[in-house]
Amino acid sequence: MLFVGDRQAKGWRLAISVLAYSLPFIFIVTPLLSFLTYSFFWVEGGQMHYDPTLRNYARFFTDAIFVPVLWQTCLLCLAVAALAALIGYPVAFRLATLSGRRKYVLLMLVLVPLLMSYIIKIYAIRSILGGNGFLNRFLIWANLIDQPLTLFVFNLNAVLLTLTVLLIPFAILPIFLSLERIPRNLIEASVDLGASNWQTFWRIILPLSLPGVVTAASFVFVLAIGDFLTPQMVGGPNGFTFGRIIYSQFGAAFNWPFGAALSVILSLVMAAVIAIGRRFEQRS
Amino acid sequence: MMQLSRLASLGLSALTALVFLLLYGPLLVPIVSSFFEIAHGDVQWSIPSLSSYAALTHNEGIITAFLNTLIVGFCATFLAVVLGTLFALHYRNGASLGRDAMQFVIFLPFLMPPIIIGLSLLIFFREADIPRSLITVIIGHATFVLALAYRTIVVRLQSLSVSLMEASYDLGASSWQTFFYIVLPNLKSALIGAAVLCFALSFDETLITILVTGTDNTLPIRLWAMMRLGFTPDINALVALILAFTTLMCILAVRYLLPKEAADASA
Repeated sequence: MLFVGDRQAKGWRLAISVLAYSLPFIFIVTPLLSFLTYSFFWVEGGQMHYDPTLRNYARFFTDAIFVPVLWQTCLLCLAVAALAALIGYPVAFRLATLSGRRKYVLLMLVLVPLLMSYIIKIYAIRSILGGNGFLNRFLIWANLIDQPLTLFVFNLNAVLLTLTVLLIPFAILPIFLSLERIPRNLIEASVDLGASNWQTFWRIILPLSLPGVVTAASFVFVLAIGDFLTPQMVGGPNGFTFGRIIYSQFGAAFNWPFGAALSVILSLVMAAVIAIGRRFEQRS
Repeated sequence: MMQLSRLASLGLSALTALVFLLLYGPLLVPIVSSFFEIAHGDVQWSIPSLSSYAALTHNEGIITAFLNTLIVGFCATFLAVVLGTLFALHYRNGASLGRDAMQFVIFLPFLMPPIIIGLSLLIFFREADIPRSLITVIIGHATFVLALAYRTIVVRLQSLSVSLMEASYDLGASSWQTFFYIVLPNLKSALIGAAVLCFALSFDETLITILVTGTDNTLPIRLWAMMRLGFTPDINALVALILAFTTLMCILAVRYLLPKEAADASA
């Protein structure tokens, strides 16, 4: 082992140990703790008060806006998760049925969009969906409509579509992994016993890959609900989501403690969704 | 997996192609548009030109933002790779005190939603009286990409045989000599791969950056600010360039991180 039992290097080893414990503590643990603490402070007239209180949390439950917006956002993200898993499944299946180099090339192609600029992807999708965008121009050019459609312009539909397109790769990966884990001999046994491909799929493959589907959906849900820029960019005034409310607390509304409290609530929702996904995965 | 019938195979491939169209299609729009003239705030489809690329070289805001992005990317990557290596060595050294807990902490910024990490850092910087600047952006990016660097390096380090190091000691090398002549060369491809990946992530990071940045813009933030005002065809050229750059980095990362697996797969 490196640096072990070497007297000269003892100082270095100690220094590395100190860094290994202190840096994560300072830059990861402390911020998260101060964030949690902040949610118990309060603001009045632009003035921060540092005495602990639960009023931020009380405001979340008593004010008529926040619970409905959170609920609506949850439904939206659930729809995104379901859509992404539904669209991702056939791709994951195709990937799993390929072999050799083609499989890895296709897998890379699924993953490459994840490294591509998020802002650019939103911009690109917006330039297609927008009122003066590609889709509308095409439909008008094809004489299918006279007026530009406003169905996908600056509303929750646009947010739903954009988030789904952005997050599909996150859905494909877990489903692909769960398909890969299905023991081959189960499928072979099914085929040997005379089952058709459809029967094998419905009775063997689909049930065994469901945990992956649930993991995929919970991933996508968590990523979608934490996003505040996509709704801001494509949602317009009608596409209000919980993430945007949180973000506005740190900007225009300038109520950091309240924003922190709302984020804590958001984290609880995320944790609950991940726990449900985990539980499902373990049960099956 | 099972043998698919021709029809099922075809149907699946068609669906897959459709999804790829969904993933990559939107990106083609700005790329294609970037090669046409822009006038009256719209793309003139009849006049192909490279004028939008030429215009970029005069746009000082974008050039500054690009330089800022490079500075942040290099610093954050450097920090993440150096610290990732140190942490990996630390745990490889047999330090087990709170090992699982500390690893969990290192992975947290990567696992938690960026809004939470960004807000935590924002509050932390304010309470610690660190003014928001490129430094805070670098710290934010470094904590975020550290998990990736650490993971890549620790996996490679674990696959490194202990007997290699023992042999080095037996032959009279010091710890530092062993590190530089034995460990580092063996980690090389992992380090390069981790660095490329970290840089690629930092280059496009938006959600944390927007929360911890001061008046300095990185490229994604600059783009965001421009797009907020509406559809702006004049940034198509920039978008096309960034996409080309990211694709290049993806290819590099794959080349350094996946040579073995890809080779095994094709064999």
